Amino acid sequence: MKTLHKLRAALVKVETWLAAGSLLLLLLLALLQIVARNLFDAGFAGADSLSRYLVLYVMFFGAALAVERDRHIRIDAFGTLLPESIRARLFRPLRALAALVCLLLTVAAVRYWQDAWQYAPDHERWLVLTSLVIPLGFGLLCAQFLLGAWLGPAHEDPAC
Amino acid sequence: MLIGIVILVALALIGLPLFAVLGAGSLLYARDSGLDPALLIIELNRLATSPNLATIPLFTFAGVVLAAGGAPQRLIRLFNAVLGWLPGGLAIVAIAACAFFTSFSGASGVTILALGGLLYPVLNKVHYPERFSLGLLTTSGSLGLLFPPSLAILLYGIVSGVNIDELFLAGIVPGLVLMLMLGLYAAATGRRFDVSHHAFAWHVALRAVRGSLGDILLPVLIVVGIFGGFVTVSEAAACTALYVLVLEVWVHRAIDLRTQLTDLLADTAVLVGSILIILGVAMGLTNLLIDAQLPMKLLDWLESSIDSPLKFMILLNIFLLAVGAMMDIFSATVVIVPLLLPLAARFGIDPVHLGIIFLANLEIGYSTPPVGINLFIASQRFEQPVWRLFRATLPFLGLMLVWLLLVSYVPALSLWWR
Repeated sequence: MKTLHKLRAALVKVETWLAAGSLLLLLLLALLQIVARNLFDAGFAGADSLSRYLVLYVMFFGAALAVERDRHIRIDAFGTLLPESIRARLFRPLRALAALVCLLLTVAAVRYWQDAWQYAPDHERWLVLTSLVIPLGFGLLCAQFLLGAWLGPAHEDPAC
Repeated sequence: MLIGIVILVALALIGLPLFAVLGAGSLLYARDSGLDPALLIIELNRLATSPNLATIPLFTFAGVVLAAGGAPQRLIRLFNAVLGWLPGGLAIVAIAACAFFTSFSGASGVTILALGGLLYPVLNKVHYPERFSLGLLTTSGSLGLLFPPSLAILLYGIVSGVNIDELFLAGIVPGLVLMLMLGLYAAATGRRFDVSHHAFAWHVALRAVRGSLGDILLPVLIVVGIFGGFVTVSEAAACTALYVLVLEVWVHRAIDLRTQLTDLLADTAVLVGSILIILGVAMGLTNLLIDAQLPMKLLDWLESSIDSPLKFMILLNIFLLAVGAMMDIFSATVVIVPLLLPLAARFGIDPVHLGIIFLANLEIGYSTPPVGINLFIASQRFEQPVWRLFRATLPFLGLMLVWLLLVSYVPALSLWWR
């Protein structure tokens, strides 16, 4: 149990750095492009594509962190009306279910990535490499949901 | 399949994250239709071809930095000095400050947490009725939704493929009309309850303007930059993020880069991630539904039962109000907009106008049960039961419904610039 808690803390740390780093890189790249376009009348090749993939990096690492912080958007129309004890009992099964969905999406993403790699022309291979974030991201989400299902809420909140 | 849908809806209602519900629905549908689930990932990967996608994290980062740097306090000081002398002054200050701040913070509830906490005791102190103050601050949490660079407008533009510049322009007048209507109501309430307001003082106003000059220049720079043709929307987002960082770190010295930057970036990523993951997963499901010709079937049904654009508009508003009561604005945009666009086009509704109608309906949904996020955040912030807050918002919701009718049936309010 202690090892799993440590694993979750380590995952959160890595995801925090990766999310923050991706967003910072996105900002710097966007600013560099503006400078290059306006001062030198030219942009960096591939910078626009890389920027858009960086948004996917921010999205996946941010979404993985959102699991630990319990910040994912939910419709939850009835959840808020349920007594806290029932809501607390629902926490783990719902996390396990979300983990299962993420696992299936990870498998689909791995298959997609393998196909994309196989059929990509040489000059686009780097873009396919950057899209590795899709299976990795769903894998991280799956891991966070599984840890949540096993360990319970990261921040002790009786409502969870 | 039907049983699967019912189970998924039930799971969504008891709190399974929406992206997982949509993901499970897509996987179920793909399995049922004999399709490879990898198709869903192809659609998700298409997100990376959306030209304005980077605007979402960059504008969101600007909002997060502004909130952490003390912009709410500066805005209240400014609007209080400039507008506080009007009858109902402090309530008008609340409306202006909340609308301004929400346009940057993305109507994620931060406005109620950051501004509501500051304004609530002050409104009570000058003897506004408590119910009025609660209603005002609860509804104000989503007031600036139609002003640039609102996250909701950006997302609508990306999902619908409508030009974001045009959406920014279209939202300004409807947004101002709503502020004016609520301001008049606030002034009337202030007069009725003989609420005190201070006299205008030039030196106080000038000091407040000097203190928040950087904040009030921001929307001006964005609007002039984009509509003057100096920068694209994406470039404006990057410049805004840099500007706000410089403002808070070096001008106001409210943020320490070494100790706070990582947390601010991570907080932004969490906000962006929780919204965009829904968009990414929903793109696959939407595409499957379009392949199954669901919009076409809906269109056929609508054509057989509705014979005029007016009737369609009435039905559209009722439907969107119901959606707003059940879903948050970001999920609704991702799931509903692709299905609505062809229907609205068939009845001759301009996609830019549709965007403003859509967002206006969902803005009302922020304060309606069962999932009006403003109600829950206000309930937490002001320590009041949700139903009491809902009752307090009713006069404001009534005004907003009148405003919705105006926005829906007077397209010129949104399309005056054409």
